[in-house]
Amino acid sequence: MNNSYLSVNNLNFEYPDGFKALHNINFQIKKNERIAVLGPNGAGKTTLILHLNGILGNLDEKIKIDNFLYNEQNISRIRKTVGLVFQDPDDQLFMPTVLEDVMFGPKNFGFSNEEAENNAINALKKVKMDNFIDKPPHHLSFGQKRKVAIASVLASEPELLVLDEPSSNLDPASRRELIEILKSLEISLILVTHDLPMALEICDRSIILNNGAITTDMKTYEILKDKKIMEENRLELPYGFALHHLEE
Amino acid sequence: METTHSHHLEIHSNSVLSNIRPEIKIATTFIIVLSIAFLSLEKNLAIVVQTFVVLLLLYLSKIKISTYFKRLSIDIPFVLFALFLPFLSKGDSTVMFEFFSLPIYETGFNEMISILIKITLCVSLAIVLTATTSNIEIIYGLQKLKISPLLISILSFAIRYIDVFIDEFKRVKVAMKSRGYDQKGLRGLKPIAYASGAMLIRGYERGERVYNSMISRGFNGSIELKKREFKKSYLLYYLSFISIATTIVERFLI
Repeated sequence: MNNSYLSVNNLNFEYPDGFKALHNINFQIKKNERIAVLGPNGAGKTTLILHLNGILGNLDEKIKIDNFLYNEQNISRIRKTVGLVFQDPDDQLFMPTVLEDVMFGPKNFGFSNEEAENNAINALKKVKMDNFIDKPPHHLSFGQKRKVAIASVLASEPELLVLDEPSSNLDPASRRELIEILKSLEISLILVTHDLPMALEICDRSIILNNGAITTDMKTYEILKDKKIMEENRLELPYGFALHHLEE
Repeated sequence: METTHSHHLEIHSNSVLSNIRPEIKIATTFIIVLSIAFLSLEKNLAIVVQTFVVLLLLYLSKIKISTYFKRLSIDIPFVLFALFLPFLSKGDSTVMFEFFSLPIYETGFNEMISILIKITLCVSLAIVLTATTSNIEIIYGLQKLKISPLLISILSFAIRYIDVFIDEFKRVKVAMKSRGYDQKGLRGLKPIAYASGAMLIRGYERGERVYNSMISRGFNGSIELKKREFKKSYLLYYLSFISIATTIVERFLI
């Protein structure tokens, strides 16, 4: 029996201008598994995660989550189950105050006002931003905005959290806080990133997307060790980063 | 990333007007502005009453006089327009006097006075409203007044993204300057035009991304703001009543 939680089967996607962004994507993840999606710029990573939320693509049942096929009837349930954190928090935070923004998702998904507020406050506590509930999001620092954006997705109680380059533009301390937050969450996670040490720290397994196709699907550690795979996919460990310290 | 605060008009004074429900403030402003607009200005007493109402609100708003006059400058285009009227609006061609051999017509002169008084009073009311009510509260008030949700969404997005937009434009300008651009003369406008075009496209693309992020959180067409606590105010009811009554009495009864 197949115990996969999310499964993507033969997914293809072509943009209206004819650019083939995804070819024949196949992968599965188990419940509470954390995987990283690696790959060069323009490989189709963001396109893929927009599919996971039913925003792009035809909803033609190529993807299945928790036994629900991606189609028109299930779309609301799918969007509630899959929480998507966008790369630029300014795209995600648009309500006048932090609390209202974090409540936006739960309210749309049919939580009562009280539940929505409780969920929002709990989510903000998880990312340690509960002191900012009445602040307008655009007056926060970039790191704080990123944390609020994560809370705004957590508040809808997703079962799969998908993050698009969450560590980009963060200072090292904010990046560390973010990693600790992500490690503390007990849900399935898909992490799209160029930050290989972060992928290694959070995700046991990684898939590499290159030119719209999955070229590699194996343990993160094995990928980082394999010079050939790394070079072929335009990946490189940061200067001074030594893998042998992490030998299992 | 630095953020812009320049367009925030609310002054943080502990004015009694600050805590009043925004919908009442908006409705009062609207009613008094209408009453002033419909004033015929034939009776001095009516002008005095309306001016008193506006001055009282200005006093209660605790806005600094210097800030008030700075913000009043927004009516300069209207004032300029009004200053031309005595030369242009003939009416029954009664000439009051001549100014450098140009005739000053009585009708135009009266119209000028009327516009100057009305515009100053109305702009003052808008200044009071924006100085005592934050952007969010104004949107909240409009929502309470059952203004179309679409209009409210547009307004709240405008307020939210104007900072992002201004910051982005500033960065573009800095990047232009750092590559030797100095804006002088008509030719200097060309790069600005290109930059504006790029900003337009970026804005459009951002709109698309914001919309994606909204539907990924289940957006279904309405944005609901959280309930907020405010005080009721009878003072504003009374003032609106006085203002309407003055205009009605002036126009129809005397």
